[in-house]
Amino acid sequence: MTEISFNFNGKKQKVDIEPDTPLLWVIRDTLGFTGTKYGCGIGSCGACTVLLDGEAVRSCITPVSLVEGKKVVTIEGLSKNGDHPLQKAWVEEQVSQCGYCQPGQILTAAALLGKNSKPTDDEIKTAMVGNLCRCGTYLRITKAIRRVIEEGGV
Amino acid sequence: MRMPNAKPPINRRDFIKVTFVAGAGMIIAVALPGCGKKASPGPFLQKEAQEWFTPNVFISVGDNEQITITVHRQELGQGVRTALTQILADELCAKWENIRVLQAPADDEYGDQLTGGSQSIQNNYAFLRKAGAVGREVLIRAAAESWGVDKATCYAENGMVFHKDSDKKESFGKLVALAVKQDVPFSASVDNKIPADLMFIGKSMQRVDGFDIVTGKAIYGLDVRVQGMLFATVAHSPMIGGKVSSYKPEGALGVKGVKQVVPISNGVAVVADSTWAALQGRQALEVTWEGGAADLSSDTQEKDLFAQASRNAPDSPEDLTAYYTVSYMSHVPMEPMNCLADVREDSFEVWAPTQNPQGALDKATQVAKVKGTKRLNVPLVGGAFGRRLELSLNGASPVSVDYVREATEISKSIGTPVQVVWTREDDIHNDMFHPLSITRVSAKLADIKTLKTFRSQVSGPVPTGNFRAVNMIPEAFSHEIFVDEFAVATGTDPIALRQTFLRERAFAVVQLAAEKAGWGSSMAAGMGRGIAYHATWGVTHVAQVAEVSVENGQVKVHRVVCAVDCGVVVNPDIVKAQMEGGIVFGLSCLLKKPITISGGKVQQSNFNDFPILRIDEIPDVEVYIAESDESPTGIGEMSNPVIAPAVINAIFAATGKRLRTMPIRPEELS
Repeated sequence: MTEISFNFNGKKQKVDIEPDTPLLWVIRDTLGFTGTKYGCGIGSCGACTVLLDGEAVRSCITPVSLVEGKKVVTIEGLSKNGDHPLQKAWVEEQVSQCGYCQPGQILTAAALLGKNSKPTDDEIKTAMVGNLCRCGTYLRITKAIRRVIEEGGV
Repeated sequence: MRMPNAKPPINRRDFIKVTFVAGAGMIIAVALPGCGKKASPGPFLQKEAQEWFTPNVFISVGDNEQITITVHRQELGQGVRTALTQILADELCAKWENIRVLQAPADDEYGDQLTGGSQSIQNNYAFLRKAGAVGREVLIRAAAESWGVDKATCYAENGMVFHKDSDKKESFGKLVALAVKQDVPFSASVDNKIPADLMFIGKSMQRVDGFDIVTGKAIYGLDVRVQGMLFATVAHSPMIGGKVSSYKPEGALGVKGVKQVVPISNGVAVVADSTWAALQGRQALEVTWEGGAADLSSDTQEKDLFAQASRNAPDSPEDLTAYYTVSYMSHVPMEPMNCLADVREDSFEVWAPTQNPQGALDKATQVAKVKGTKRLNVPLVGGAFGRRLELSLNGASPVSVDYVREATEISKSIGTPVQVVWTREDDIHNDMFHPLSITRVSAKLADIKTLKTFRSQVSGPVPTGNFRAVNMIPEAFSHEIFVDEFAVATGTDPIALRQTFLRERAFAVVQLAAEKAGWGSSMAAGMGRGIAYHATWGVTHVAQVAEVSVENGQVKVHRVVCAVDCGVVVNPDIVKAQMEGGIVFGLSCLLKKPITISGGKVQQSNFNDFPILRIDEIPDVEVYIAESDESPTGIGEMSNPVIAPAVINAIFAATGKRLRTMPIRPEELS
């Protein structure tokens, strides 16, 4: 067991845990935030995506020891009132079907727009390629991201 | 999934007034934000209702103006919670912003809750309109009586009742105390709104769960948490049909957080205080397996199916004959199978992300064997595609309702609430796959109407089940490619050929798709255009035109034009979304990998070896919805069967190569 301290959704957080525990299960089972989803456990689907110091990472293959001293943002911490431009655009474009992958999709898009305020369509595809959606909402994901870009970014 | 509508929509003669305990244990409730406005708390959030008017199990009107709509079909992404709410709320004349949507638990009070076969709208549209209309009628009567006027001079709109001949008006909430004293009329005596008065039906209302999904508030099966719960993983036989011979729990029990190792009917469960500990524990568990179909091979099965399909095939030169193969395919909904069960001495409660709440409750009841209260709640479902219908195509197979049974068995054994979590590997290895089949189609070249179809399909021991559109997938695939082959063989245009045998409404969508796609116009070198039409379950007409190119053996689908006629449209945007999503789903089936079986084991295990389409692989999609006054039909399984033959036909147009397998085999293109 190791004590690990990090900033979680804007607040100081300490956990006393096996250091190789994937961040995903610390978020879901230890901290009780279930917006971050399990989809594959091998970093292949992106459902578990969170922001780590602004970068989109796969929390299912990120040992919690790696977040020591860093900032972790989950879908619950992306905005206070659910009014982040990406969240609003996702609702406006009616992106979600089952919705299970969408928190991960939104956080990957947030990382992209955090670094590049005007990505091209190809840059959007490259950034989003690791996030799977079985319902097939990709067209609307692209539209929602474009909407945010057109309306002034994040 | 097509099945007889086993129960009538409601198992009583008509709607009756019911006692309703607001919100009791119903775990999905969302309040609807105003259209395009920032979510603002409705009045009901500030003040709980003291009294409710509940004309039937679907509707409850609170004296605080809150309208509670209970949805009895499961939300799988197909939009049913939004669409059914639109239907009920429209006839009730509710104010959209005041609606709260609850998810019904498994209960025969709601009639059939099985969510499959694209039937939720088809079977409930007329019925739920009446359920809403009855509520509106009572509120109008209550107002008319209190004003001492003829009810014919009153009408309802946007949560209020108005008197036409004066400025009298009253809100639904303030009418509750009077409405509860009224008799609820028989639905046959109440008129539906006229089409011009509809407010929500036909409009693209925003999805009722949209905000909760993008903020992480939406509760899926895996997100349900109850006091004192534990987490479990199950070691399943790696070989199809295998059973536990012996196991050693010591390794698992040595993992920190692991509480117990519990043998269950189909494996060994590791119970822990966290999901991760349960997963680690399962890795450390030693299980010896026995039995199983060690010589089972999908290659051998395919050869056997071909031998069956080709027996007695016509071989005269006047006949065109072709064989079409559809492989095993896995559902892989993004949320893997899971279930939370809390079995106590005298009662039990289950939370299952299922398409079949009543079937799941029956199974849990058999396993829990407790008297007293029982309850099965349905959280949001992170994709289903037929996997969660809990119905195997292999008859009374032990795999049916598998994850619900596992959770119930484990909770009963340990006396604690427990959530069974399947990994993606569990999900693929223990899927009930789309069945492997070979379809022979033949026709005399002189007449397309001589077309005959014969399908050989596996019937075990590989578990197979319902996969979005089920047998409509090989049906559309074989028929629509064959029609294209027939057109080529007879030098006919595939659209002109379809006009000779399709009925008017069916051919209209073919024409619509062709016209919007610019059928017949020239294309860039290397590009090809193909068309296909199908009506899944014979109800919703869909035609798609695909534009593709093939480079270095890789198929690229550039554009798909889709036309659909599903009768009256409840929510056009949801219809469009289902067409778009179905195309992506169907393209994964066609362009990615099959599930294969070798040595009795499923050879694939995760998205690395059973991939699905990614965002950089999707075509542009245009959807056109035909105007129609016909009764509404389904939409969930209508798009995915059509895209595969359309793309195959386009590949032929682009390359002259005729492919006949799903998924395509890359060697056939090189």
